[in-house]
Amino acid sequence: MNAIVPSTPAETALGMSLPNRRSEEWKWTDLRRLISAPYGRQAVTARDAEIDRLVAAAPLAAVKAKRIVFVNGTFDAARSQLPQGSVSAPVAFPDDVIVAMGSRLQAEGAALTLEGNADLPIEILHVATDGPQRAMGLRHSITVADGATATLIETYVGEGDYLCNAVIEIAVGKGARLDHIKIERESGKSTHLSHAIVTLAADAVLRGFTLTSGAALNRQNGTYTFLGQNADARIAGAYLLNGSQHADSRLVVDHAVPHCTSRELFQCVMDDTARGIFQGKVIVRPDAQKTDGKQSSHALLLSETAEFDAKPELEIYADDVVCGHGATAGDINHDHLFYLKSRGIPEAEAKSLLIAAFAGEAFETVEHEGVREALTHYAEGWLARR
Amino acid sequence: MLEINNLHVKLEDEPREILKGLTLSVKPGEVHAIMGPNGSGKSTLSYVLSGREGYEVTEGSVTFKGEDLLAMEPNDRAAKGVFLAFQYPIEIPGVATMQFLKVALNAQRKARGQKEMSAPDFMRMVKDRAAKLNVSQEMLRRPVNVGFSGGEKKRAEILQMAVLEPSLCVLDETDSGLDIDALRVVAEGVNALRSPDRAMIVITHYQRLLDYIVPDKVHVLSDGKIVKTGGKELALELEEKGYARFTGKAA
Repeated sequence: MNAIVPSTPAETALGMSLPNRRSEEWKWTDLRRLISAPYGRQAVTARDAEIDRLVAAAPLAAVKAKRIVFVNGTFDAARSQLPQGSVSAPVAFPDDVIVAMGSRLQAEGAALTLEGNADLPIEILHVATDGPQRAMGLRHSITVADGATATLIETYVGEGDYLCNAVIEIAVGKGARLDHIKIERESGKSTHLSHAIVTLAADAVLRGFTLTSGAALNRQNGTYTFLGQNADARIAGAYLLNGSQHADSRLVVDHAVPHCTSRELFQCVMDDTARGIFQGKVIVRPDAQKTDGKQSSHALLLSETAEFDAKPELEIYADDVVCGHGATAGDINHDHLFYLKSRGIPEAEAKSLLIAAFAGEAFETVEHEGVREALTHYAEGWLARR
Repeated sequence: MLEINNLHVKLEDEPREILKGLTLSVKPGEVHAIMGPNGSGKSTLSYVLSGREGYEVTEGSVTFKGEDLLAMEPNDRAAKGVFLAFQYPIEIPGVATMQFLKVALNAQRKARGQKEMSAPDFMRMVKDRAAKLNVSQEMLRRPVNVGFSGGEKKRAEILQMAVLEPSLCVLDETDSGLDIDALRVVAEGVNALRSPDRAMIVITHYQRLLDYIVPDKVHVLSDGKIVKTGGKELALELEEKGYARFTGKAA
């Protein structure tokens, strides 16, 4: 990317150059500067007890699901209820930084074709165990068959200092519905870089939700492309960040065809010196008439030093569309707080209630009741640790 | 129960005084009406009693059940028994009304050293009291005051009062924005809470509400001071003759 500058230890270890702030889409997340550790590919062995402990403590452990478990980037057949399948190469966007990094890391993953009406959610759980500084990659490929209905969960947990690169390709078939939930609860010392590449066929429905809360450094890309008419994508997210966490989501919703609907709702909570970023781009192609696209991001800043940046982008080439965006950032509403206190609720409890309610607006978009309850429970735990 | 003595209050960031030496004594079981023209300081009094930030007490004292009310946090005042029914109830997105009532009641009970109420007992109590105020189950599931009509908000305030069972109820312009039917429901709710050990301060601009909630005493507040005190007939006199003769200017 810049031949004159010598490679950083991370670039050397990963065998590729990393983008810096001079690249517009990385301006808030200068990977070159932010990734200092020499994360390279390295096989480690983890003790069974350690893996079991992390699996049991995962945020959605109580949710009844069929699980596919990966440990340190490698399929764990013994802990999985579904086979791994084989992911075909190459994925879309080979030049994308995160996709390219996954290729360098020889990422493996699950390949699934989801058919019919699944009774249970499928959870792809990744566990990173404490060990030497290293990088690991995952690359999943999911096809939701025409007319099928499924709930897919990606969960990331871990301990220690590592980089997890996760690329998932999802094709939602004609008239199919996918609820795609992602829980990023990586180790507090880790880096999580991901790209979800999603296509929707005609009449497809997507309900996406991502909880971003674990990693020290998080960058999540999402590319959602409408390939057929009358498809509907709702993509929500919640950030619960504290300490010096840094999380950046960049979504591109591509209305390539007419008559599709997209909604984005991100509810971002930042405490201490945490920094949240939301970049949402909606593209409406020249013949994508009757597009209905809206995005909104809201930030709740719990300290003077927390930060939030929002960059909405609308690229509209059609003339008969309804598109909009909105972004807000603020601290806890003092009128709300006074009202709760005037009813006898102590300040700390009142604040927790309001923060939970704020994040809860994003949780509410999740249809699966068990997952929603687990999210609420997770938020309560996060607030209790404040 | 409540002793307000020579209370002077100004806004924190403005030099102008709003309350200029207000004195008021309220005993258990009494209902006091405070009437006055706009800008006389009625709402300021309600906010100072409930502990809203932004006001500065420059002189005087407020004693509630023998304790310095002004030294307490709003939540401690509530736990001690002070309740303000807001003129403009606040909407709280994302917090269900039922959950809010439960958290508030249990926080108060905890502060008073009482045990939390069991979930079934709580549900039964709220359902019973909600029914009397025409507050539907659907409203209880909705976020606090969000999407409620003006009348629904006021009924929800009175429901909170009925559930929290305060010993001092301050009703700030509870009649504003209510049609006559809604006013009757709200007034019945308030009257049901009248008891020998509960006092009420009913703040209102109009006499209308006092047809339904009959006060023991009526005070005229003008320019930050109580300028006249009388029985319930004073309210009728005000309605007939206006505030001007008490305030010394045209209303």
